[in-house]
Amino acid sequence: MTQQSDWKPKLLGFLCRWCSYAGADLAGTSRKKYPANIRVIKVPCSSRVDSLFILKALRLGFDGVLVSGCHPGDCHYLTGNYRARRRIAITKKFLEYLGVEPERLQASWVSASEGGKFAEVVTEVTGGLKEVGPNQLFSERKLDGTKAKAGS
Amino acid sequence: MEQKLRQEAKALLEQNKVDWIIGFEPGSLKFTATPLITRDKNDTERLIISPFMVNNLADFLTGIEGRVGIVAKGCDSRSIVSLIQDNKLARENVVILGVPCPGLIDLAKIERLVGKDRDELDDITREGDKVAVKVEGKKKEFAAPQVLFDHCLACELPTPQEYDILLGEPRPPAPELEFSGQNIAKLIETPPAERWEFWKNEFSRCIRCYACRNACPACFCQRCFVEETEPQWVMPVPRWQDNLIFQIVRNIHVAGRCTDCGECERVCPVNIPLRSLTREMYSIVDELFQFKSGMDKEALPLMAHYEQEEAEDLFR
Repeated sequence: MTQQSDWKPKLLGFLCRWCSYAGADLAGTSRKKYPANIRVIKVPCSSRVDSLFILKALRLGFDGVLVSGCHPGDCHYLTGNYRARRRIAITKKFLEYLGVEPERLQASWVSASEGGKFAEVVTEVTGGLKEVGPNQLFSERKLDGTKAKAGS
Repeated sequence: MEQKLRQEAKALLEQNKVDWIIGFEPGSLKFTATPLITRDKNDTERLIISPFMVNNLADFLTGIEGRVGIVAKGCDSRSIVSLIQDNKLARENVVILGVPCPGLIDLAKIERLVGKDRDELDDITREGDKVAVKVEGKKKEFAAPQVLFDHCLACELPTPQEYDILLGEPRPPAPELEFSGQNIAKLIETPPAERWEFWKNEFSRCIRCYACRNACPACFCQRCFVEETEPQWVMPVPRWQDNLIFQIVRNIHVAGRCTDCGECERVCPVNIPLRSLTREMYSIVDELFQFKSGMDKEALPLMAHYEQEEAEDLFR
């Protein structure tokens, strides 16, 4: 339980190389403050993100995943983010059905000029993750903690 | 109907309209039918139509070269249409021998109702809305919905929409959606954490035999992500974590192709209720994008198409 108080959410961000990554850069250069809980992976396009990446991230212990790309209509490859939108939408709905907290998979559109929006999104998503707590989806421990109680 | 099927199949081979015939022949065990794949016209005499022809034959189409004549129930025809949508198959290379299907009989359900093993039953016959089981000289009758497969109860297309030759009279769709959605409705009512626990338990039984993947006509990748080693996405050891990831990602990959034909659940050796996943994915796709797999051969595949405005409420 002592670990609980030190716990900080770990968020994995897949940022599109053309918009959201540049947006994150702008947030930095314009000295916007946002939580340092995000680790960023640069992807060529938001449609590069397979649902497998998201599951793998959760399996490795990330508390949440953020996929971010260009606004619909602004894709560098014209239609990439439309395809990403379909894939992320079904992934999100399906994971919710399985019992994964919806906060753990978040998606956003952030353009290269929206440093402020990037900071906001990361703040909100991190806040959401703090509420749902550590990711124990794939841990061997029982979720309700009954075993721990019996032992102590 | 069987006679007509045999004649048609023989004629197709004789007139060199197809190179292969895919259909069913009697299985070696009681109350079974087994796939028959042949290019010999004499073999067509063995073709049958029975309430036990459970396999989705569309699965064989991606592994065969040349023109094929294929026996297709409603569900198989949807899988074939789905393959045509994905350019895995050219329409002119397949001759669909459509069979209006009254639903397939689930032997496990009969065993449970009668309390006897399938070897101890003398006969099972379909008589209209009833299924008669002869056991120890006595005849027992059951209403068809009691003994049909769950996925047959949810069937939206008993008669193939896409066919070249139709054998028998078309049947109107009569999905008992209330019944077929029962399991999912029960799951949705439970809190998310318990739902996850449920799937954890189910997939702790999985032995990763990949029968679900191999029986699935929508799973046609040459190389599956689970077999990749660099990077190794999932461990080959059947632990529940990796089993679950495999099945979740498989379901997402076949979204828009999966017609909810129920083959994965039927072939699962450890009885994981996989249709509670495929059925939900089917409804999600329908709800978000108004897309039903395998209905229209002209439609673009789900993931190759988009609308300007859709699903925006899921994005920040």
